Amino acid sequence: MEATLDSLALGFSVAFRPDVLFYAFLGCLVGTLVGVLPGIGPLAGISILLPVTFGLDATKAIVMLAGIYYGSQYGGSTTSILMRIPGEASSVMTCIDGYAMAKRGRAGAALTIAAVGSFVAGTMGVILLTVVAPPIAKFALAFGPPEYTALLVLGLLFLAYMSSTGLPRTLLMAAVGLLLGCIGIDVMTGHFRYSFDIKELGDGIGIVPVAVGLFGLGEILSTPSKTVTEKVVPPRLVELLPTATEWRQSVLPIARGSVLGFLVGIVPGSAHIIASFLSYAVEKRVSRTPEEFGKGAVAGVAGPESANNSASTGAFVPMLALGLPTGPVTAVLMAALLIHGVPPGPMLVNEHPQVFWGFIASMYVGNLMLLALNLPLVGVFVTVLRIPYGYLYPLIIMFCIIGVYEVNHSIVDVWIMLIMGVVGYLLRKFDFDPAPLVLGLVIAPIFELSLRQSLIMSNGNWLIFLERPIAQALLCICVLLLGLSALSLLLKRRDWRAKLAQAEAGEDPSGG
Amino acid sequence: MQMRRDHVAGAAMLLAGVLVLAASTDLPFGTLASPGAGMLPTLVVVLLLALAGLLLLGAGASPPIAAIDWTDATHALRVVAVTAAAVALYLPLGFIASIALMLFVLTFLVERKPFLIALAFSGGATLLAYLVFGTLLNAPLPRDFWH
Repeated sequence: MEATLDSLALGFSVAFRPDVLFYAFLGCLVGTLVGVLPGIGPLAGISILLPVTFGLDATKAIVMLAGIYYGSQYGGSTTSILMRIPGEASSVMTCIDGYAMAKRGRAGAALTIAAVGSFVAGTMGVILLTVVAPPIAKFALAFGPPEYTALLVLGLLFLAYMSSTGLPRTLLMAAVGLLLGCIGIDVMTGHFRYSFDIKELGDGIGIVPVAVGLFGLGEILSTPSKTVTEKVVPPRLVELLPTATEWRQSVLPIARGSVLGFLVGIVPGSAHIIASFLSYAVEKRVSRTPEEFGKGAVAGVAGPESANNSASTGAFVPMLALGLPTGPVTAVLMAALLIHGVPPGPMLVNEHPQVFWGFIASMYVGNLMLLALNLPLVGVFVTVLRIPYGYLYPLIIMFCIIGVYEVNHSIVDVWIMLIMGVVGYLLRKFDFDPAPLVLGLVIAPIFELSLRQSLIMSNGNWLIFLERPIAQALLCICVLLLGLSALSLLLKRRDWRAKLAQAEAGEDPSGG
Repeated sequence: MQMRRDHVAGAAMLLAGVLVLAASTDLPFGTLASPGAGMLPTLVVVLLLALAGLLLLGAGASPPIAAIDWTDATHALRVVAVTAAAVALYLPLGFIASIALMLFVLTFLVERKPFLIALAFSGGATLLAYLVFGTLLNAPLPRDFWH
């Protein structure tokens, strides 16, 4: 514990440097805007701004990009409460009771509860991250190629199991991502794969054009401007302070949401979305007045908002400790670290303590900044919301083009982004979730390398994955997940994932 | 038989899998003890084909293909066409001309905003972006054709 506190002190000495503070603030500000604006999520925001960080050192880059991620969870609540439009997918549940509170003239209180809940949960999440990540990283030092192969398979299966679109569809997307990740020179043999004499494809397909295309452009193509309403229920800023009863009603949901969110965040999948959904369900279940849900229940805002913030912090545990991205956002953050020559994983704590602890300490500071930023500036964010979407999306397309081009100064990347935008649009039409595709693309090189190394190590014996205890345990969990999915498919049960899909589609799963 | 959403999705995935398999013929699979460049792609394509088959098998439970809402397709097509034109002109015309043109066409022709406002918006936004990215952040944006 003493060693952890010493390391944290080192982290704070990095995080309190004026330049690092500036980039943390910038990340939080951009993240809040990204969360506020419909049609642009944290993934597109991070991807577009990734090239801007090339001139920075790894610490400042990751501090800023992570600020965008957790900042967007804060910002997403603003549109949910004031417009009933989730600025970010994880704010879907906040729409239900947040907007109902706004209609009753309690918009200010709902925004404050969401911001305070997000702050408490974010800080609790960072405390848990501080405690949990280093021991996991130490444990992961025992991992060899077979363990990593099993871990990556488990990650993909977990993602598929947790997905609201179903296991076959999610695995299909992951397979497409893995295939895209195979494009380019094979690092072990030097063979060109699927590059069709296009020299730019020799280095493979970059994650940024794919992510920006699928999530930035794809989202714009699926959002015709006439469907975006600019009708806002304006908050009365004098009524920002919740009443004593509202505070009392929000304490336990915030605490429960924080713990639940962190635990869900560690598991691969769209953690922040699932966490807010589960938190809503838990709050409704434990409430003495469940009939209030859907009509402006304080717990319906406090719980989900806390859970999605805590989950976004929890998602950093596998990324930092194991080098395993659990979702597309952490995948892009991992790519950012790799670009800066800092490979995330068990060695990160020892080899780059300033980056690791500086990043963690910056999140404590970032959460404070977000609290200070979100409440007084709510009026500014409401003004941003009034920018007609017909002007907003052309700007987003411009940022997409700049962001993608600046990564490699390659126009081929921009074409890939455009193609991926169309693919993302079509995938949405056919009810495919593009997130596993990005994850597949990111893990393809790690997965291929560890799989081939394992086979070479064992002289071609597949049993190596079953002979090593950690790999064996991980694969047992994989079999269990497949069994559970098959069971659910056979019984045609309408479980929580079906309800999640309903909520993501914008319907009220509470029936309210 | 009524054509359903997953019939089309499954068939498209099957076709994609077969095409990738055809493009993989020159990649050596290697042996298990010495895996080649074609091993992972082949394994993944087999998985893809199996999952696409599974999708086709369960397609009867998916909504009819006609139930997919394509009302936004015209708008999406316009946006893609304008963006594609801007990307094609990005290097020949440079950042300022191609992006300003794209913003103007999107706001004036696609979104039917007033001419002068669209003109001011596209010019102002492009110049601001050029100042921020090109000047402040020193990002090497493509220069115009006369440079």
